[in-house]
Amino acid sequence: MIDFVPALLAQATLTPDYIVTQIFNGLVNGGFYALLALGLSIIFGMLRIVNFAHGAMYMLGAFVAYYGAQFVHLPYFAALVVAPVVVGCFGLAVEVLLLRRLYDLDPLYNLLFTFALVLMIEDGMRLAAGALGSPYDTPAMLQGAANLGFTLYPTYRLFVIAVCLIVCVAVYLVVERSSLGARIRAATEKPELTQAFGINTRRLISGVFAFGVALAAFAGVLNAPNTNVTPTMGDSIIIQTFAIVVIGGLGSILGSIVAGFAVGVLAAVGAVFFPQISNTLIFILMVLVLLVKPTGLFGTVERTA
Amino acid sequence: MGLVLLALGAILPLLPFVYPVFAIDLICFALVALSFDLLLGFTGLLSFGHAMFWGGSGYVATILIAHGVVSFPLALLGGMLYSLVVALLVGAISVKRSGIYFAMITLAIAQIFYFLAFQLTDLTGGENGLQIATRGTLFGLSLENDRVYYYVVLAIVALCGALAVRIVTSPFGQVLAAMRENETRAKSIGYDTDRFKLAAFVMSGTLAGLAGSLYAIGNRLSGLDGVDWHTSGAIVMMTILGGIGTIYGPIVGAAVFESLEYFVSKTPIGDKTNVVMGFIFAVVILIARRGIVGEILQRAFAPKQRLVEDEDDPDRLVPDAEPNPV
Amino acid sequence: MKNIRATAALAVISAFILPLGMPVATGAADQGPIKIAVITDLSGVYAAVAGHGAVVATQMAVDDFGGKVLGRPIEVVAIDHRNNGPEAASKAREAYDGGAELAIDMTNSATALAVSAVAKEKHKLAIVTGGATSALTGAACSKYTYHYAYDTYALASSTGRNVARQSNGKTWYGIVPNYAFGQQMLADFTAAIKPEGAKFVHADLIPLGNTDFSSYLLSAKNSGAEVLGVLNAGADTVNTMKQVKQFGLDKSMKVAVGLLFLSDVDALPDVFSGSRITTSWYWNEDKPARAWADRFTRKIGGGLRPTDIQASDYSATMQWLQAVKTVGSTDADKIVAYLDGRQFNDFYAHAGEWRARDHRVTHEMYVVDVIPKEQIKEPHAWFKIVQVIPPGRAFRPESQSVCKKDW
Repeated sequence: MIDFVPALLAQATLTPDYIVTQIFNGLVNGGFYALLALGLSIIFGMLRIVNFAHGAMYMLGAFVAYYGAQFVHLPYFAALVVAPVVVGCFGLAVEVLLLRRLYDLDPLYNLLFTFALVLMIEDGMRLAAGALGSPYDTPAMLQGAANLGFTLYPTYRLFVIAVCLIVCVAVYLVVERSSLGARIRAATEKPELTQAFGINTRRLISGVFAFGVALAAFAGVLNAPNTNVTPTMGDSIIIQTFAIVVIGGLGSILGSIVAGFAVGVLAAVGAVFFPQISNTLIFILMVLVLLVKPTGLFGTVERTA
Repeated sequence: MGLVLLALGAILPLLPFVYPVFAIDLICFALVALSFDLLLGFTGLLSFGHAMFWGGSGYVATILIAHGVVSFPLALLGGMLYSLVVALLVGAISVKRSGIYFAMITLAIAQIFYFLAFQLTDLTGGENGLQIATRGTLFGLSLENDRVYYYVVLAIVALCGALAVRIVTSPFGQVLAAMRENETRAKSIGYDTDRFKLAAFVMSGTLAGLAGSLYAIGNRLSGLDGVDWHTSGAIVMMTILGGIGTIYGPIVGAAVFESLEYFVSKTPIGDKTNVVMGFIFAVVILIARRGIVGEILQRAFAPKQRLVEDEDDPDRLVPDAEPNPV
Repeated sequence: MKNIRATAALAVISAFILPLGMPVATGAADQGPIKIAVITDLSGVYAAVAGHGAVVATQMAVDDFGGKVLGRPIEVVAIDHRNNGPEAASKAREAYDGGAELAIDMTNSATALAVSAVAKEKHKLAIVTGGATSALTGAACSKYTYHYAYDTYALASSTGRNVARQSNGKTWYGIVPNYAFGQQMLADFTAAIKPEGAKFVHADLIPLGNTDFSSYLLSAKNSGAEVLGVLNAGADTVNTMKQVKQFGLDKSMKVAVGLLFLSDVDALPDVFSGSRITTSWYWNEDKPARAWADRFTRKIGGGLRPTDIQASDYSATMQWLQAVKTVGSTDADKIVAYLDGRQFNDFYAHAGEWRARDHRVTHEMYVVDVIPKEQIKEPHAWFKIVQVIPPGRAFRPESQSVCKKDW
């Protein structure tokens, strides 16, 4: 049935320029993966919560940007701040009112609860916004393409790469190197002891969850101009994020960032040479990593989950 | 207890207001929920990828029939064999990991099967799905009549139920229970916990595969939703709804879940089915996580209030503040 | 012990009681209402293309016909298939068992194939309007299924030929989803543009779930091809077109879109402006079309205009009801004998024929351009007809049909 296709698949000339361009595309996707994996990892590493609803938060971020633009003419750059704040507050409410009750239980329960959340949030958005999705425009300042020498590349995508890198590095530094990060890590590893020092662990924990969720929303706004803003945009990405987090090592901030970018680039390059399997590339990579290093690339000996 | 269920099952399709194919679907889901519970309730492993067994073996069974296999048992065996092999392979890399990792890994691997089903169009029909014209024959008996097929499936499911009970109450089952309670201790006694977990995973997967084959053949159709991760999620939900760790819980859960979905989709709020199901599940997780049967057993079995020494005044006896940790 | 047994048994009993509340699935009485099951996507991605509007259109046909035929009232039943093949099949079974004589719409190829199989099993009629796959009149053809509105072959032959005819339409670059629909579209388009001396210089077979087309679009730009063939559907098309605009590709290449509906443009006018597509009908194409569209808009409210699928649902329903009246029975075999080979003309199908060879219903098709938002003369007036394709050229010729006609 597809026997005529091989004849068609005479490769476009595989010049180094072409490949480098694809690597850039990979960095864009990788940036999103890194941001999402980062948020998920922070939430898990710090709070033992597997946030199945992470993809839904990403979607909500994009929708806040969209509705903001529709109803109050919220400009893009403001949305980059407003959406994470709004979704972060929503996450905070969920954590304080609901998730908190499940902390003493097996972490599997919060995974299941957040799964239920996904159903409600996604379907709710579908009822509100329709299944087909809504368009979001690239901000005027970032439209057009930049001449990179070897190709013309959309300015907006360059912006995305830069922003993702900056945010990832900043978060890493805060968590691993700052005193706030130290306090957070202490609060999650030894809550009673930290509390004895007078640090309000409850607040820290809620704050961390809200922050992780805000990161997802931020990624959502970033991606809104690229694709259509649909209620199911978080659906497939959550599973890919899980795979990336497993590859990087659950709970490892550095692992999530590196794995995110690496997988993005590998998938883009893989799409050039093996288009047939590029949607499963992430999962195949995950299986390979599991076979070779079961705790993930940067993972340490697993804390009992 | 099992006899009560069996009797109910036997009269189900005879009732004039039950649509036979729905009844078939219902008991297939009951079986897959049961298989899932073997893994979750009795071994403590949450697989979020059971759709690869359910849908995957459905595909294998229908592909076999589409390619000329006339024997119903053979098609079922094909589906089960597929599940067994997949469970062995997937289990080998994933059972070493703990709960959360295991869930994520099974979810991600199941996606590989989803994409495979999508791409291998010649075999699976891709997004169009695969229809078959016949259900095959069972030692000469034609299975085209819905009610006949239902009773065949009922017999199979009943046998599997009995098998599940045997597994759970056997020494093997005891080890699983011990592992679920405290894996380190079980290991220290000398049990190779990974081996046991793999065995449980393979059993669970094979039974789920059987259920999926029965379902696909029953509907004369295999589709991508069988391998979709939302189906994995539905299996998780119905099992927990019914009550994990109880033998009959998953069966009840599947019945309630499917009936609810079916019922809600016919009402004016039918397009909000997912919101409703998600909400119910969220509530169950929050306040009734033992599930229907679990909560009932809890109340029926609640030990009489234990009296313990009051912390402040050792001479007084007061009711135990923590009667049953979950 | 008795306690727990009793309560547990009670729980189980009540669990099984639930399905007993289900609607009755009794056989159809010969004197009860004649039911038409509109099996469509009421809540998902095709809800705007068909969905509720399809039900409204079908009901309009029933009302215009008088609400009764053969002395029995006609009842329109709306069924949501939720884009799920097995669900569509079981709901179709239930509908047929519950007295439906006709299943119509089935927007979404998987559901169309599923319902078609059930129709064959039950010896009842299914008229597919929304589903695209040409397999319905090919490998999966059946006595009890008619494919009414459009199919992948018609889209390819109309759009493909039209664009390839032009002097700057000879080299194509294909954006193709790597599954059955996409592969079929690529095959059909390749065959369609060949007689005009055009060909695909390259086609990217893109995996499912991919939302980022940037690599492929850049590759298209580099290839120097004149035409970008966007042969995907639904969300993929939207994402592709968004990124086409982002890269400014539509300024240097002609964009031919394989599958697009009026409702898609309603949702995202900026994304689709300037695309060239094929449709089976346009609400403003002529006076009779507009007259019907005005009535539809009044019925459904909200100023919405009908898509070609919704119009085809009305047309097919009306045709079927007339057949039932003439034949004097709802028996599918008799209806098929009556319809096969019959030619007809209505506001939807110009030069229509119920082709007997493979149950492909042929009629004129239209190649249209999508007008940019700033240039439309009234709301929803998105299309400008650039070519009318006669049925003989639009659909797969009888001689090329692969249908193994077993009736």
